[in-house]
Amino acid sequence: MMKCKNIAKKTGYGIFLAIVSVIMLLPIYYLLVTTFKTPAEAVASPLGLPTHFTFDNYIKAIDAMNYGQALKNNLIITVTSVIFLVVFASMASYVIARSKQKMFKVMYSVFLVGLIIPFQVSIIPLYKIIAGANLMNTHLGVILVNVFCINLPLSIFLMRGFINTVPQELEEAALIDGCGTFQCFWRIIFPLLKPIVSTVAILDTLAIWNDFMTPLLFLQSSEKQVLLQQVYRNVGPFSTDWTSFFPMLVMATLPLVIFYIVMQKQIIEGVVAGAVKG
Amino acid sequence: MIMDKRKNRTYFLMILPAFIGFIILFIVPAIMSFGYSLTNWSVYNADIDFIGFRNFQKLFQDAKTVAAIQHSVVYAILITIIQNVLSIILAVLLNRNSKVTNFVKGITFLPAVLSIMVVGYLFQYIMTSADGGLLNSIIQFFGGQPVNWLGDSNIALYSVLATQVWQWTGYTMVIYVANLKSIDSSLYEAAQIDGANGIQRFFRITLPLLYPATSFNLLMSLIGGMKMFDAVFVMTKGGPGYATETIMTTLIREGFNTGKTAYACAFAVVFFVIVFVFSKVVTYFLDKWEGAIQA
Repeated sequence: MMKCKNIAKKTGYGIFLAIVSVIMLLPIYYLLVTTFKTPAEAVASPLGLPTHFTFDNYIKAIDAMNYGQALKNNLIITVTSVIFLVVFASMASYVIARSKQKMFKVMYSVFLVGLIIPFQVSIIPLYKIIAGANLMNTHLGVILVNVFCINLPLSIFLMRGFINTVPQELEEAALIDGCGTFQCFWRIIFPLLKPIVSTVAILDTLAIWNDFMTPLLFLQSSEKQVLLQQVYRNVGPFSTDWTSFFPMLVMATLPLVIFYIVMQKQIIEGVVAGAVKG
Repeated sequence: MIMDKRKNRTYFLMILPAFIGFIILFIVPAIMSFGYSLTNWSVYNADIDFIGFRNFQKLFQDAKTVAAIQHSVVYAILITIIQNVLSIILAVLLNRNSKVTNFVKGITFLPAVLSIMVVGYLFQYIMTSADGGLLNSIIQFFGGQPVNWLGDSNIALYSVLATQVWQWTGYTMVIYVANLKSIDSSLYEAAQIDGANGIQRFFRITLPLLYPATSFNLLMSLIGGMKMFDAVFVMTKGGPGYATETIMTTLIREGFNTGKTAYACAFAVVFFVIVFVFSKVVTYFLDKWEGAIQA
């Protein structure tokens, strides 16, 4: 009797796992398998395997997307933004965590406003400011918006929480040894911040790489555009030709999927750490 | 004393880049949004005049804008409930350490690293009513009737919502899983000895102790739902008619495409108020719940 119940339980659990897996994987399988098909094949049997494997669709997609250039643009924007965020947010958070000066506490509460107000509230005047500063259609413009307008408050919030848990004795000893505050931060404190720096860097990388609205508003010329904009630009001409369009979707996300496969553990830990501190 | 002064100066220089950038690119434009919302600034007006709350009046008289607000609110509430219920169930059921469950957790999280836009396009094709659309093919295979998922104004918004549930449930789930891991298993053993069944244990032990993850996830999905833009933008363009217009799609269209700058700023202010009120209400109930747990 007991045994029977156990077997039923196990089977039920197996079915549950299978259903979840199918729901999660079927759209991705469909995406991948379609990229190797001819249009006629795709309509005739959406889920069947292609009769012959060809990378022609990918070659067409890479060409239409100006892939090399777009990928470079994505990398420039994401890497620079993340470096700026880590440098500026860690310095600011250190000051907020360590100083008892009232001025810095006030500054902190100003940063926290950014956690409550969605940045989209500022978007229209922001557009005018970027245009006025001659930063329209430049990577720097997008980087500045990504760093200061969108991702800075959360990064500071997370880093401050972490620095509060770092004991002060180390830096006091260093200060007595004649190490300046700035030097002391970079030489002694910053290396201790590795876990939170990786959390912040991962969260910001995901957010910035996948951000579509900011480049859409601030980058107009095609040689400066990012991968998602290339997908967007090509959806019209290829809207009836799925088998040519799907490879673009794959190519646009491939770098982050590789990033996920390599760093799965760190990414999930980063997401969790970001939530627990929040 | 001199040391302190020098230290404060260094501190000041260290926080300054972040602070100046934040003021110029966030605080100033946010305040400008409030200011412009009271003017008649648009690309058609050479002079900008103060017109009081007329933009807001116009906004609430426009059926299309009111509908967009409704859509965003309904969407945000629904996605918050559905996504969190699903991810708590998944988290509880998948919270074991075996190769298979770890694999299932891994693939459930995977869509969260894809961009919303790519997921939107993929599902636009999956849900298409044209020949060979995957979802309708599957339904027809099982003998059902094809559905016009994105073209029927009664269900288009919910179709978009379903794709976002698919994409983000894994993200909220891993946060719940981490929270579950921190729960002391001796609590369950004690409850079992007391004769509590699985459902009782869930509501008496698991759910209250999931408070940290729940409070974070509820607020995140609610605010994220309010801000929804990419998915609608690529899947339905707000259509059919204006059945899937949201606050953000309207804001971007009015502000950038039709050039009604001040009107769009007024909309941004309304957006701010809605998000603010909603997060306050949710925080209020979360605090109450926290109080009840501790009591």
